[in-house]
Amino acid sequence: MTAGARVEAVGVLTGWGEGVESLPADARTAALGRSVIPLDRPALDGERFRRATRECLLGVVAVEAMLRDAGIDRETIRGPGTALIFVTAAAYGASNVEWLAGRAGTLHFPYTAPSVLPGEVAIEFGLTGPYVILIGGPTATIDGLWQVGRLLAEGRCQRALVLALETFAECEALWRRARWALPGPMVESAACALIGPGDTVPAYRPAAAPSPLEGVVEARAGRTLACAPLLALALAREAGRREALVSGTWRGRTAAIDIDLAVAARSGRM
Amino acid sequence: MAILAGGVTTPIGLDLDAFWSGLLAGADGVSAIERFPTADLRVGRGGEIKKLPPVALGIRSRAAALLVAAAADLRARARLDAVPERIAVIVGTALGGVEELEHALADDGSARRALDGLYDSPAHALAAWLGARGPVLTVSSACASGATALGLGADLLRQDAVDLVVAGGYDILCRFVMRGFDALRSLARDRVRPFDRRRTGLLLGEAAGLVLLAREADAPGPPLGRLLGHGSASDASHIAAPDGEGRGLEAAIRAALAAGDVGVDDLDFVSAHGTGTILNDRIETAVLRRVLGNRAAAVPVNSIKGALGHTMGAAATLEALMCLLAGRDGWIPPTVGYEEADPACDLDYVRGACRSVRPRRMLSTSLGFGGCNAALVLEAGP
Repeated sequence: MTAGARVEAVGVLTGWGEGVESLPADARTAALGRSVIPLDRPALDGERFRRATRECLLGVVAVEAMLRDAGIDRETIRGPGTALIFVTAAAYGASNVEWLAGRAGTLHFPYTAPSVLPGEVAIEFGLTGPYVILIGGPTATIDGLWQVGRLLAEGRCQRALVLALETFAECEALWRRARWALPGPMVESAACALIGPGDTVPAYRPAAAPSPLEGVVEARAGRTLACAPLLALALAREAGRREALVSGTWRGRTAAIDIDLAVAARSGRM
Repeated sequence: MAILAGGVTTPIGLDLDAFWSGLLAGADGVSAIERFPTADLRVGRGGEIKKLPPVALGIRSRAAALLVAAAADLRARARLDAVPERIAVIVGTALGGVEELEHALADDGSARRALDGLYDSPAHALAAWLGARGPVLTVSSACASGATALGLGADLLRQDAVDLVVAGGYDILCRFVMRGFDALRSLARDRVRPFDRRRTGLLLGEAAGLVLLAREADAPGPPLGRLLGHGSASDASHIAAPDGEGRGLEAAIRAALAAGDVGVDDLDFVSAHGTGTILNDRIETAVLRRVLGNRAAAVPVNSIKGALGHTMGAAATLEALMCLLAGRDGWIPPTVGYEEADPACDLDYVRGACRSVRPRRMLSTSLGFGGCNAALVLEAGP
């Protein structure tokens, strides 16, 4: 058993499109004054998905994007060997607003729980390994990557998915109020990284300075909150890097992690 | 990892001593809810804290107020003797700042209130109150959140990322959640009866529970106890109901035992999730029977949800503290509400009155919406 960890693949969806190649050069300019850049509800077949919320479906689609990037099928990740780490700052807001407004039926209530978002993903892909759900912005995603490193190092899983998801459209009025704290377009995003065993233990810095990649992601993607560090990993892989220092800043704290990257099939276009 | 001390605020006691006395006495903290209207609900009862401690008065968010009250109790029992940057705060919650979100949607449009509606806001409020400037993490594995929070805290310490961790969980009783569980018809009309043949459902409660974690070598004195291992697992079967065979729970328990290098022969007591729903208690019993094997009939089991209601994000921390206090004092609290045996629930539940047993090593289990399962393995101090 190796003690390290390595990013094997990253699937990315944002309001700008699929993959980091769809990101504009400058998000603020591309937003054309819009405060939220939304993602459509994915069109997925199946009775279970009829009731599921848009956020749940985006999580499923992000994992599918990761599988395509990794070139593996669903069976590879099914079962107790795969840990699922889910991170969001705000994706539960849409369901909560629906419930509070009295517009949703009884069976909607469980969807107000943040844990139901990864729950639907776990059901869809048969993920029964270690399970951690963190609430927060990009810092929480760095904390999640750190936790994956520990799970792998201690042999508690064979691989891990770090899934981040942010939606803003249903709470746009609230996000507009907070624009003094979060300027720039809020860009709905879903991203999933597959982390497998590697040669190097990720170096976690619970207090750090922002990395250059953090600024690049914010400039190109806009505010993607918990998804931002995963976008940074995708950008680094796209650029052909073999390792990346990614950071996340939220509520005054910056955390960072150095982590190895597997070479992407297509690279050098950052 | 050493658990140096605990602090709580609960419906049966506003500090750890009162909480413990209430548990031993078999107190019932469930009452008619007074803080918000319930006339339109089938059930209007829950474990409501009628009066917050003075330290929490004036804090706008009730969730943050509960956390601060528990933290004040914790600080009265242990010093946060580390540089602020090396003190982490990790709390679990099912509901976060949802009541603030409700206010934000209805109020004058303040930006602060909008941000207070985010589920990680109460944890940051707690960190600010404590003066802790290390990592602040919010776990939201529904009603298993508190267990995972303690586990992550232990991991941070093991990695030497911090020197102290204030870890635990909280949740408030509010209309948002009462309306939801009422609509799902999950609430008992009379009382919570964990593992009882007549059980009909759960009742909700509000509370906060915190522990102070440190590396054993850094403990300034004999600890209250130790967190030996933790485990989590996903059911991947249903968003709101446990897996019919409890496979996720079993995996979480086995992971926690393996992490703590503890065998089932070493377990002296199980603090069960024990919500009082027909499904949970039957499945949990079956899982414990499988895990404990031929010791299943010999290990005492209890649930404290009959005394408090289901305190959601706070539950696992309160149950962990109960385990450690049982080990300290040699008494296991009774399962309030358990009176008539159910053939499908055939473990050695502690009933009627507290039992004179001094458990050394203990297991605590938690389950939650989204297929969340978590388990803690604890050891009594010193």
